[in-house]
Amino acid sequence: MSMGRFLLRRILQGVFVIWGVVTVVFLLRFVTPGDPITFIAPLDAGPQVRENIARELGLHKPLYVQYFEYLVGLVQGDMGYSYIQGTAARSRIFNRLPATLELAIAASIVAIVISIPLGVVSATRRHDPADYAATTFSLVGISTPNFWLGIMLVLVLAVGLGLFPTSRRAIGFLPGTYFTALITRLTRSGMLDELGKTYVRASRAKGLPETLVRYKHVLRNTLIPVVTVLGLQMGTLIGGAVITEAVFNWPGLGTLVIEAINDRDWVLIQGSLVVIGAGFVIVNILVDATYAYINPQVRAE
Amino acid sequence: MIWELLSTIFGPVWKLLRGGVSPRTVRNLRKEFRNSLLAKIGVALVVAAILVAAFAPLLAPHDPTNQNLDKSNLPPIGFSKETTETSSEMVNGSIEVVNETVFVEADPAHPLGTDSLGRDMLSRVIYGARTSLLVGLFGTAIAAIAGVTVGLVAGYYGGKVDDALMRSADVMLAFPSLVLAVALVGLFGKAAVRVPDPLVAIGIEPGMPASFALPGTVILVVGLVNWVWFARVARGEALSIEGEEYVKAARSVGADDGFILRKHVLPNSVTPILVLATIQIAAIILLESALSFLGFSGTTLSWGFDIAQGRGYLASSWWISTVPGVAIVLTVIGINLVGDWLRDALDPGIEGEGGGP
Repeated sequence: MSMGRFLLRRILQGVFVIWGVVTVVFLLRFVTPGDPITFIAPLDAGPQVRENIARELGLHKPLYVQYFEYLVGLVQGDMGYSYIQGTAARSRIFNRLPATLELAIAASIVAIVISIPLGVVSATRRHDPADYAATTFSLVGISTPNFWLGIMLVLVLAVGLGLFPTSRRAIGFLPGTYFTALITRLTRSGMLDELGKTYVRASRAKGLPETLVRYKHVLRNTLIPVVTVLGLQMGTLIGGAVITEAVFNWPGLGTLVIEAINDRDWVLIQGSLVVIGAGFVIVNILVDATYAYINPQVRAE
Repeated sequence: MIWELLSTIFGPVWKLLRGGVSPRTVRNLRKEFRNSLLAKIGVALVVAAILVAAFAPLLAPHDPTNQNLDKSNLPPIGFSKETTETSSEMVNGSIEVVNETVFVEADPAHPLGTDSLGRDMLSRVIYGARTSLLVGLFGTAIAAIAGVTVGLVAGYYGGKVDDALMRSADVMLAFPSLVLAVALVGLFGKAAVRVPDPLVAIGIEPGMPASFALPGTVILVVGLVNWVWFARVARGEALSIEGEEYVKAARSVGADDGFILRKHVLPNSVTPILVLATIQIAAIILLESALSFLGFSGTTLSWGFDIAQGRGYLASSWWISTVPGVAIVLTVIGINLVGDWLRDALDPGIEGEGGGP
């Protein structure tokens, strides 16, 4: 299969998954307890007032009509209007999106730049102080809640030293601590496995320089499973961004979701969950494209 | 009640383990344990956490919910300190701000200090272990039961069943687990089940809370959010076993699919599922702490909740946020080390599977 056809198939699958995401998010309103109107209507509202609110928000229509209208709206880029503020959900979501994106992108860059080289160093210098440092770092990294790490940073920097980490970039690594540590561990164990294989011994026996063996053949084979996990675990980065926003009170998509849930502002809840889900699917398609590039076997399947 | 809950869920698991783990596996586990210092540290940390959680009423010096405003914000032993207290006083009709230097001394009755409401931090950390471990165990059990069922069915039947189940898994995976968990707990409500404390019930420590809150919604949600990982692993196992001779033999003598799945496919998938479950407990404990931190939990006796409480007092009382965080890190490190031990000894080939928080 050519790269183009592979991508096309993957994108079609992605569209299907996004449709699933939209459907699940839409149905969430009907399976969760509590009527949205009760949340919006004044406490003493009579049936007439409630009826009017339902009409105004389009909630009186049958389920399938609402669903269909929501889908049509989404395709046209219309996410509806916030129940509480009455503003367009799209503009509120896309106002908050850049902050979260910046955080998630910064975190993933830091994560990948640190984790893969660290894993390689750790595997190639086994039982060296560098290896012990890297394994300790990655063990603590997958075991520490990043919101707590953020608070400890504030404690040390702001309270202890009088410095204020106000820039999003300065602590951009925070959402990705779990991710970084996980990828470091995977790279290390994957590389150790590969280094023990016969083709490595054969290439060495053939007289290939060690750097070529390690960084061309072994690393490439190591990266194949690592990239798979990278795609699957991207979610921890977004989750990390959400909670980092909460720790530092930054207005991002994560804090918006939490506000919307507490307000039961369904239009906003649906919109932001759809954007997060769709973003995640797109990222995964990009990861798969990278995957297919380094491992032509996948395209053949 | 808590014992009945534990035994109904983990009784069958234990039986399955006894059937699915061969003597050779046990030998490998022993050997790896003897050779690995990290495995020993991990087991020690996990055993310590379990004992602390089980005997919380005996170990805690105070009732963790008992407030005492006269003793609020006391530092841990060894951290007595001077602080400036600002108060305003009426002097001759005008308000004057008075800065007073006060010496706050640690109280030996509260080794890890107290929080802003004068509750004993040590007791809160001890009781918090219960929430973390129970949510970790029950959440993982729910995820495993749901995920393994889906995965085995998908892998065993293949074709359209497989496609449908795995596409729904893809939809699940499109949501970061924390975001999905926040949405579900927030929308379904934070219901908790009051469980009577067995030790207090039999009259050993009458001064302690007679019951504790098991955050029901949180347990269900963290389980639901994480079933996909079990489904992926179980599916892989079912796929690899499905073509084996003994499965064909069982089918040829008329065994039905349910029987084959339960008696042949499941026992052979025990090892990777066990390793995954260990990793998953660690991830779920982290997820629970994040949910509690964000205010989406059914209980206030949780490490994540206390970290959030202490956030407002960082400048004056750093220990309120610090102490429960250290407890989380130690517990999760212990579980991850046990996971590493199992993985190194059993080599289940599931490198990198398992959801993060």
